[in-house]
Amino acid sequence: MLEPISVSLESLNLGTLAPMLVAICGGLGILIIDLIKRDLDKTMYVMLSVLVLFVDLGTVLGLQAGERGFFDVMFIDGIAILSQIIILAASMLFIPLALTSKRFHEFSYPEFFGLFLFMVAGFQFMVATDNLILIFVGLETASLALYTLIAMHNREKSFEAAIKYFIMGALAAGFYVMGALILYALTGSVEIYKIEEVLIAGDYANLTILLVGIAFMIGALGFKLSMVPFHTWTPDVYEGASAALAGYMSVVPKIAGFVVAMRIFEFLIQSDVVWLRDILYVAVVLTMTLANIMALVQHDVKRMLAFSSISHAGFVMAAIMIGTTQANSALFLYWILFLFTNLGAFAMLWVSRHKESRWHERYDHPYEKFSGMIQIMPVGAVVMALFMLSLAGVPPFSLFWGKLYLMSAAVNSDYIVLALIMAINSAISAYYYLKLIVYMFLKSPEENEGTVYMRNASKPLQTIIGFSVFLTVFAVIAVEPMMDIITAYVQASGF
Amino acid sequence: MDHILSVLVFFPAVAALLGFVVSKESIRVYGISVALIEFLLSLWLWFSFDGSYAGMQFVELLPLIPSFGISYYLGVDGISLFIVVLSTFITLIGLIALSIKENIKNMIISLLFLEMTMVGVFVSLDAILFYVFWELSLVPMLYIIGAWGGNLRVYAAVKFFLYTFAGSLIMLVGMLVMAYLYYQATGVWSFSITEWHRLVLPMNYQIWLFVAFFIGLAIKVPMFPFHTWLPYAHGQAPTIGSIILAAVLLKMGTYGFVRLTLPMFPDASVYMITPVAVLSLIMIIYTAMVAYAQEDMKQVVAYSSISHMGVIVLGTFAMNPEGIAGSVFFMLSHGIVSGALFMLVGVIYDRRHTKIMSEFGGLAKVMPRYATIMGIMVMASVGLPLTMSFVGEFLSLAGFYKVSPVMTILAGTSIILGAVYMLSLYRKSFFGDVVHEKNRDLKDLDGKESMALWSLVLVTVWLGVYPKPVLGPINTSVESLVSFMHKKSITEEAKEVIKPTVIEREAE
Repeated sequence: MLEPISVSLESLNLGTLAPMLVAICGGLGILIIDLIKRDLDKTMYVMLSVLVLFVDLGTVLGLQAGERGFFDVMFIDGIAILSQIIILAASMLFIPLALTSKRFHEFSYPEFFGLFLFMVAGFQFMVATDNLILIFVGLETASLALYTLIAMHNREKSFEAAIKYFIMGALAAGFYVMGALILYALTGSVEIYKIEEVLIAGDYANLTILLVGIAFMIGALGFKLSMVPFHTWTPDVYEGASAALAGYMSVVPKIAGFVVAMRIFEFLIQSDVVWLRDILYVAVVLTMTLANIMALVQHDVKRMLAFSSISHAGFVMAAIMIGTTQANSALFLYWILFLFTNLGAFAMLWVSRHKESRWHERYDHPYEKFSGMIQIMPVGAVVMALFMLSLAGVPPFSLFWGKLYLMSAAVNSDYIVLALIMAINSAISAYYYLKLIVYMFLKSPEENEGTVYMRNASKPLQTIIGFSVFLTVFAVIAVEPMMDIITAYVQASGF
Repeated sequence: MDHILSVLVFFPAVAALLGFVVSKESIRVYGISVALIEFLLSLWLWFSFDGSYAGMQFVELLPLIPSFGISYYLGVDGISLFIVVLSTFITLIGLIALSIKENIKNMIISLLFLEMTMVGVFVSLDAILFYVFWELSLVPMLYIIGAWGGNLRVYAAVKFFLYTFAGSLIMLVGMLVMAYLYYQATGVWSFSITEWHRLVLPMNYQIWLFVAFFIGLAIKVPMFPFHTWLPYAHGQAPTIGSIILAAVLLKMGTYGFVRLTLPMFPDASVYMITPVAVLSLIMIIYTAMVAYAQEDMKQVVAYSSISHMGVIVLGTFAMNPEGIAGSVFFMLSHGIVSGALFMLVGVIYDRRHTKIMSEFGGLAKVMPRYATIMGIMVMASVGLPLTMSFVGEFLSLAGFYKVSPVMTILAGTSIILGAVYMLSLYRKSFFGDVVHEKNRDLKDLDGKESMALWSLVLVTVWLGVYPKPVLGPINTSVESLVSFMHKKSITEEAKEVIKPTVIEREAE
């Protein structure tokens, strides 16, 4: 007979679980409200979601670094708190993009917002644990919700995108499970810290099998982070999804992926036994360079931004490869700055969205659409140009500071060649960002209607764009305080 | 006024932002008034500047990112003071002579932003701040070339941007390495250029860092073989774009040599004298020959401008007070003279919409006032004594004579070649009979053109006859720079080459 297990509520430390529970309860609450009273307006659901995320953020801020809870599967360290803050802040900024002036099909369903909150909870689970199984659960929860959100855009392209993403995601999930299986077989544990202990104690015996496991892990996380050569889904999915969701996808799933990659790879990189560092070096350089080159030949701004976000992800993966505290802090700084710039850029595309295909039968945002924008809508053109310059890394706009810290981290760890490759890649990327600026500023307009770029705009959307402009331009003031906080959290978790 | 440098940097930027509100009809006057106030402010800076003190003056220091050693750090010395005055002066003159009609509001706002970045580069003493202004200067220029240029304007503008951007990113890596080395030596992060000057580096580090900085700066100068963007940029840019580009933006590169590479890496600079001098010589002679082969007036001026930039680099790498002071002075005179030449080409282009020399001939009869000023500026460009260029060119070459007489003589051919192509330009377009009917009733210079051009002539002759008020402060700072480099250098060879001698000042 089995011994009865007695669990005290104390030892569960449910506080660690509170943030995710808030998001899930909020999502369920939205569904229940819909059951009670139908046909409520989307504005209410958007604001409810923001409030739920706000409460969620409050509980995250209340967490103490270094706690474990819920049978020790939850693990709250500095980067868990930090990345949850980033995920929640990004979600709070992206969800109001649903408040467009045009009616879009998906936002009339309350399920959209419920799924959105479930997805956020999934990402929170991913970053707040070092248990391989719980990471998997979080990953799948978030991904399944995300596939549905994409498909809800209800156009031919979005179905294609959702199915493509789903199939690729399923393959990645398979890879992940295989990787976790091999790590478990080698060490008898699914908790990363124990895996580390056992591997070090055994002096990395069975290296070949371990490498196979790591290869599966790289494949799985590579899909999620859209590293070359696992990136092929990215542009099509971005193209099919609405601009708001594409912007969200370029930021939030990736920060969750980076945290997982940091947890799984960091100790292996430090050990210097396995070839992980070299493999990642190659992957980072390939991701940056190939994505940049492919971005050069795109005809659609959204596809270009998709490739650019792949390249930025490669840039940031370099931080994980370098593995010093400075590099890992630079990763978070870079991603926060990237969040605001990309939020602005995708929001600008989103406000210019038309229901009919006006410029191109396939693309919503071909370059020609922005031709001569400076003469039609000078403020819009200048704002868009600011985001492009920031993405290209022109100082003093936000991403420059991220690049500066990251390149400095590379230089300080004697990766001068890598820093040079990063510099050259920034120069290549300037070309395709400039291409949009060239269309906006240097060509003559095809349309003369003043409202053409603001068809979908509303006050909340303009506020969000204004907010991103402010942070993009004055980022330099925020760098020092942000870096203090980030470094404190990263150091607290020992990375 | 303690914050005059901040005012100088941000006044045009604030004015540009406010300019969005000003109506299209009045924007021209607004732009000229702003540029005039800025110029007067820079004159005030000059008059309150202490010419006998060699160090940095009007210093402002405000930490921006203290944990990473980045600060808002401004200051001027004799080397940068006059380039600042040159920038504000050329912007004012350019605005007065501005002949563009379409989208004039956007043009004036971009010019004012450009003025901010130009002044910013020359007064920044923090490497990151320097880099920020350096990169920002590309953006308004991209717009000016790309929106008002010729047929290939987009190609030219993007080429200009990408070349400089790529080069300066390599320089940025160099800066990060430099900051890291400083951190290793002192335990503190700092991007302050004056702090970096104090850091003595081993030879192999110096050489690599020198190369990183050199690539970034050389593309801007532009040195052979990185010069290919410039003829396109000049060929396509509107007149105002070419004036600012030639007169001020190119000086950022040569200024960078004096401010960054020489004092930071004195030994590597001495070690690299020969390769750099060979590149400069190729630049001087080759582009002079190319200039002779051009049929387009503007291209002649563009290539002559590259050729003269070679003399500036040569003078800088003479590493002695004459050479460096001469090259700084030559930067100023090149700014004035090439700015004037581009403006003159612009005048005729506005009237005939062509710049091909064979389209003209006999202009001296039709436009006597124009021909007079063109004549003076052609002579100045050739380096006639009593013009500003003579002083700079002579001192630069005299400085380099101490390093290598043979190379100096080769470089001296630039004066002869310069005379050949400039005088043939003048002969083809101004002398002889009026061949084309269209040229018979061209209007001579109007009021604003005369005003802009005569003030440039005045400065050219004044500083050609009596350069002391400018050369004095330059000399003071350059001498202290050279004796500093002498003290700092670690190799015997460098100590030999870098000799701090007091030179006889002109007209004293």
